[in-house]
Amino acid sequence: MRSSFMGLETSKRGLFTQQSALYTTGHNISNANTLGYSRQRVNMEATAGFPGVGLNTGTMPGFLGTGVQANSVQRVRDSFVDHQYRQESTKLGYWDTTSKAITQMEDVLNEPSQYGLQKSLSEFWSSLQTLSANPENSGARGVAVQRGIAVADSFNYMHKSLTEIQTNLGKEIAITTKDVNSILQQIANLNEQITKVEPNGYLPNDLYDARDALLDQLSAIVPIETEYVKSGGRALAIAEGAVIVKIKTKGTAVEVVNGTSVSKMSVASVKTPDADGNPDGAVTGFKFGGVTLDIKDMLGSGTMRSLVDSYGYDEGMGAGEKGLYPDMIEKLNEMAREFAAEFNRIHAGDPANPTKYPGGTDLDGNLGKEFFVIKTNDGTVIDASNIYVSKDIIDNPGLIAASDSTPVTPPLGGIGSGDGEEGNGKNALNLSNMQFSKILSGGATIQSHFQGLVGKLGVDGQQAERLAFNTATLLGAVEQRRASISSVSLDEEMTDMIRFQQAYNASARMITVVDETLEKIINGMGVVGR
Amino acid sequence: MRVTQSMLSNNMLRNVSTSYNKMGKLQDQITTGKKVNRPSDNPVVAMKGMGYRMTVDKVAQYQENLGEVNNWLDSSDDALDKVGQAMHRARELVTSAANGTMTPEDKKKVQSELDQLREHIQNLANTKVGDKYIFSGTKTAKPFHNGTDYEPDAAFSEKVEIEVFDGVMMIVNTDVTKLFKDIDEVFNEFGPDTDFSAAIAKIDANMDEVLTTRANIGARQNRVEMMGNRLESQEAAAKKQMSENEDIDYEKVITEMITQESIHRAALSVGSRIIQPSLVDFLR
Repeated sequence: MRSSFMGLETSKRGLFTQQSALYTTGHNISNANTLGYSRQRVNMEATAGFPGVGLNTGTMPGFLGTGVQANSVQRVRDSFVDHQYRQESTKLGYWDTTSKAITQMEDVLNEPSQYGLQKSLSEFWSSLQTLSANPENSGARGVAVQRGIAVADSFNYMHKSLTEIQTNLGKEIAITTKDVNSILQQIANLNEQITKVEPNGYLPNDLYDARDALLDQLSAIVPIETEYVKSGGRALAIAEGAVIVKIKTKGTAVEVVNGTSVSKMSVASVKTPDADGNPDGAVTGFKFGGVTLDIKDMLGSGTMRSLVDSYGYDEGMGAGEKGLYPDMIEKLNEMAREFAAEFNRIHAGDPANPTKYPGGTDLDGNLGKEFFVIKTNDGTVIDASNIYVSKDIIDNPGLIAASDSTPVTPPLGGIGSGDGEEGNGKNALNLSNMQFSKILSGGATIQSHFQGLVGKLGVDGQQAERLAFNTATLLGAVEQRRASISSVSLDEEMTDMIRFQQAYNASARMITVVDETLEKIINGMGVVGR
Repeated sequence: MRVTQSMLSNNMLRNVSTSYNKMGKLQDQITTGKKVNRPSDNPVVAMKGMGYRMTVDKVAQYQENLGEVNNWLDSSDDALDKVGQAMHRARELVTSAANGTMTPEDKKKVQSELDQLREHIQNLANTKVGDKYIFSGTKTAKPFHNGTDYEPDAAFSEKVEIEVFDGVMMIVNTDVTKLFKDIDEVFNEFGPDTDFSAAIAKIDANMDEVLTTRANIGARQNRVEMMGNRLESQEAAAKKQMSENEDIDYEKVITEMITQESIHRAALSVGSRIIQPSLVDFLR
């Protein structure tokens, strides 16, 4: 037999459940603009019918409905879209960072413009032409020296700027490593909280959201894959459990978070990184606790990889340092080295090849000295960082070997007799025409080599920019899809609000009805004929 | 597809930012007048631009050199013209002295004028352009005539060459060591018992030589003129190439800019409609 008060219970459950749904609606509306928030819904289900099955169950038509209960509060989310989002985010991270690194390099090279190395070289050649036409003119000599200094300064400046940016990139690697560690720690903390809540049969939706937001952040830095370990106890089937985070590599993925344990990331470089974790020399890989991830096993995506590619890395096995900045610096060094060597050979002669490089003579008829030298005992080989005009020549531009007359004293001899050919500018012309000599590898002249560098940088920059734009568009599409699934629609929440409110009202009315029927039984029954 | 408010506002934000980006690029192009402002804008144009710039700079330098060449040749020609005039006067004097009717006093006067002419020619041998002696070969700081005589120096016969185009050298000085020496020799021979008839022949021969030398200079001047024309057309061509390569077509870019502005306005006006009335507005 059914209870007299069953209707009250049924309606009460209705009241409670609709109220939960109404409150959840309120939660959704409140979080309409929260980053990473997924809308939530109350999964309602009808409670078990009456009567329960058993030996003593009376015979009556069953089941009679007993109302509703809130089974669970679930967030609406598609893990497949999350997966896609993280894949694209990793790619965007790589190309966006690469594009920025190239932009910085373009700013340093400052081409095409009226102020770059190209222009200072052109002006240097011009000044030598003028010198060849006016070799006796001390003004023309002074200008040639100053233009030579300008070329050396351009090399010095570019080298210094590029090295500075490279150092900053190294710092950025260290900071990003710290970011990663912070994210990993937060994920582990969330794992802990989640695994404490879930066995009670609850769904910690907001913790899931926070964890997913962290995974999104992490995916921009390194390519990741995730696995979930179900919690025990009374955990619901739809509970997500603790996440295992792995960094994808060319080989086996490296586990960085498992439950509450974290393998901290640190950078490994040719020389031991400093106390702040800044790499010293080329990056050779990353360490995660006891596991080492070599550069050659790293996948080519994510902000971290891009930073490493720009900063410079060494794959080991004698491969040497590679990367955007080291390559450019090395190419500039090669340019400066070959430029200075050839210039000095024409200027001062080459004892190994006197027929081709007899050398020129200065105003006094002495054999020329080296025009470009190492700045201040800074290294043993001329490169872009230390190339400079010889101090003697700066102090006395008369020492420029503009003439091709026969030296009055034997090479490397003492002071000359002052018997130079001041009107002879043929060697200045040879110096100027060095701009057409193919002195660099691949048969390039100084300037065509530099043009090639700038051109290649431009192509790389264009590609990075285009791919950053494309991946941003793709990511936008995925984000759109995710928003379509998970974001809060106010219209929808309003509709729900009305639905739940009306159901709540109706349940309340139902209680009134039951109340009235009970009133009839209690106060109105058995008074027939009164 | 389920569409929510946040999707609309995110989309709108992204599109407005893209549109702003495009406007920025167009504004850059208009304010700088260049199609590319960094290599990644267009690597090919940037690279070619650097090459063309080199050509333009080079041609400008050759034009500057050409001015120097003209300076040399004009001055040499002018100096030799003066030498020719002096020789002419000397011939007149010698001719009048040769007809035998002159008194020793007259001859003395002729002789002193001839001495002045000799000195004049010696001064002309030390013609300077700026701070260089143009007839001293490659030793431009050393006077050709040192005040007493023409001191021999191998460097005086050296060629001074100036490059006026890729690999095209122009000899700008004129080797007059023999000419001036010969002329001086003629004057040196004059004395009380000179055979003036023989001297006339020598003067004539040297005058011929001066003319030949000037003809040579004149021929070079013609060449310089042709070279100048060639450089001018080279300059025009190089500048045109450079401009076509990297300069914007203002009509085109301004039109694009205006189009982009309209698009941007439209995007913004759409933005103002993002906040649509929702169901909230219609509920009691």
